[in-house]
Amino acid sequence: MAVVRLDKICKRYGNAAGPVAVDNVDVTINDGEFMVLLGPSGCGKSTTLRMIAGLETISSGTLSIDGRVVNDVPAKDRDIAMVFQSYALYPHMSVAENLSFGLKRRRTDPAEIERRVRETAALLGLDGLLARKPHALSGGQRQRVALGRAMVREPMVFLFDEPLSNLDAALRVNTRNELIKQHHRLGSTMIYVTHDQVEAMTMGTRICVMNGGRVVQVGAPLEVYWEPADTFVARFLGSPPMNLFTVRAPAEAGALEAGAIRAPLPRWRPDRLGALAGREVVLGLRAEDLHLDPAAAGPEGGRIRGRVFAVEPLGAETLLAVEVPGGHECTARLPRHIRARVGETVDLHFPASAAYLFDAGSGLAIPADRPDAARAGALP
Amino acid sequence: MSAPSPLPRRFGRGAFGRGALGLVIGAYTLYTLGPFLWLATMSVRTTGEISADHYAWPRPFHWEQFRIAWVDSDFATYFWNSAAVVVTAVAAVTLVGAGAAHALARYRFPGNRVIYAILFSSIIFPPQITLISLYQILVDYGLYNSLIGLTLVYVSLQLPLTIYLLEGFFARIPQDLFDAAKMDGYGDIEIFRRIVLPIGMPAIATTVILNFIQLWNEFLFAVVLITDPDKRTLPIGIRSFMGDHFQDVGMIAAGVMISVVPVILAYVFFSEKLIRGMTAGAVK
Repeated sequence: MAVVRLDKICKRYGNAAGPVAVDNVDVTINDGEFMVLLGPSGCGKSTTLRMIAGLETISSGTLSIDGRVVNDVPAKDRDIAMVFQSYALYPHMSVAENLSFGLKRRRTDPAEIERRVRETAALLGLDGLLARKPHALSGGQRQRVALGRAMVREPMVFLFDEPLSNLDAALRVNTRNELIKQHHRLGSTMIYVTHDQVEAMTMGTRICVMNGGRVVQVGAPLEVYWEPADTFVARFLGSPPMNLFTVRAPAEAGALEAGAIRAPLPRWRPDRLGALAGREVVLGLRAEDLHLDPAAAGPEGGRIRGRVFAVEPLGAETLLAVEVPGGHECTARLPRHIRARVGETVDLHFPASAAYLFDAGSGLAIPADRPDAARAGALP
Repeated sequence: MSAPSPLPRRFGRGAFGRGALGLVIGAYTLYTLGPFLWLATMSVRTTGEISADHYAWPRPFHWEQFRIAWVDSDFATYFWNSAAVVVTAVAAVTLVGAGAAHALARYRFPGNRVIYAILFSSIIFPPQITLISLYQILVDYGLYNSLIGLTLVYVSLQLPLTIYLLEGFFARIPQDLFDAAKMDGYGDIEIFRRIVLPIGMPAIATTVILNFIQLWNEFLFAVVLITDPDKRTLPIGIRSFMGDHFQDVGMIAAGVMISVVPVILAYVFFSEKLIRGMTAGAVK
């Protein structure tokens, strides 16, 4: 049980003027929380995790666990366990030895070691494999041994560095569920690094989205999905990513009219929209909010007209890629039965409440004045 | 049904192909084993018999030649001198070499690559160029004509290549294993002992056997740095049977047969690991 607090944590390589890998990260991970650090490769999420683990030094800032500053505490004394992307199982040791290696170091009573190893093995379905060496295990089994090695120590904090990325798709879903189950069972603080938004959305109590070494947004999965802080988060979460259109805000308030795009903006007060008049803004629309049927968008809905340039039937649904005059492209996620041909001009309709606005310069969201009733109900 | 092996196809009809292959391998084995077998027959013949007919089968077998070599000709002394020097040197080279290789492979510190470059450069120069300076150093420190001095020279001779070979292997051990051991609570020395040494065992076995063979047969430094007859190592001892006018060929053969026994034993003991060490990384 532990609260992990990162206070203005920075990681610089080389001297003070060296490249910054992690820049002023300020996050508190609450007791028993499953926090997911999400971001693209090189965004600093793994470095942040390694600093928490004690495998990287902290250039500046304070890292504390349960109020105790641990900046200079060696990894072995932090009572943290970590599951690595490569699993990092000791190849010359059996599964049982791998599991007990950390406990032996802590001079745990041999009978207690035996009990914990057996218990963990039973929990993870490794009973029959205790005498095997890692090379004689499948990828999924190795993954479970790596997880078991962390669990058997009963640490204050669990760290996971992309532990599922080496598994095939089916096994990944199973192991994801297994991890969720173990988190509920143990109730421990867990910090999980991934670049996979599905893992982040399904596993995280909260998600911390990182980009360029900085924290962009922290929040519950649906909150981050529905209230993205900027265009980066808006595009990073969601598949296909959110459609963005850079347009000039009209002089008259109430709606955006830009060539093929007409978007009423009832969630923003007219005076705030008026203040934006003449400035460039980014209109954001999620692919699942676009419909061919005008009725699905309601009477006050908006519309985008464009030419279909790709139809991607995925079985359960169909993706429609549309070229919009003005140099924009957008993707709509439509029911599987829709009929559309490449080259055809279509109108894509969306509910007025589905629109997002971002500042064209900074990319930051321009928050709506009225929440979207449909989404507000689903938020925690 | 198992997949057809590619060999019989390439060699035509199965049995014929395999027979031809066996013939070639058999001929090559005879070619390499021949001189050794010849030496073995000579070791149980007297020099007079050998002079009369170089290639004759021993009749009778003079097994006493081994006793004469071992007891009367001081081969026991040479053997134990060799064993003491070589085993100590190999042990020291392995321990120091593995530690140094681990440090060079794993830790970033100023001068790491400079040290590595200096070590590497010392491999490419022939060892003979150090002979005179080593001689002078040993004289200065009172280590000339001593087995300890020879052992130290052997350590310095084999250390660079050992570090070079082990560094290459150790550098390929994934960093995650070290991080995992750190998270499990282990310090640097413990990680070296419990992770690096066991995982690096194939490479370590390779260097042990290479160093052992190399030093067991080493002649040049031993002949220059040792003068006392009772401090001679085996290669020098065997040399003492070669006079200016007479060579006791039978005794030399018996001596060589005695001297190859440890090499064969070392090879048998380490060969499986040796092969694994040499092919490490080749398949994967």
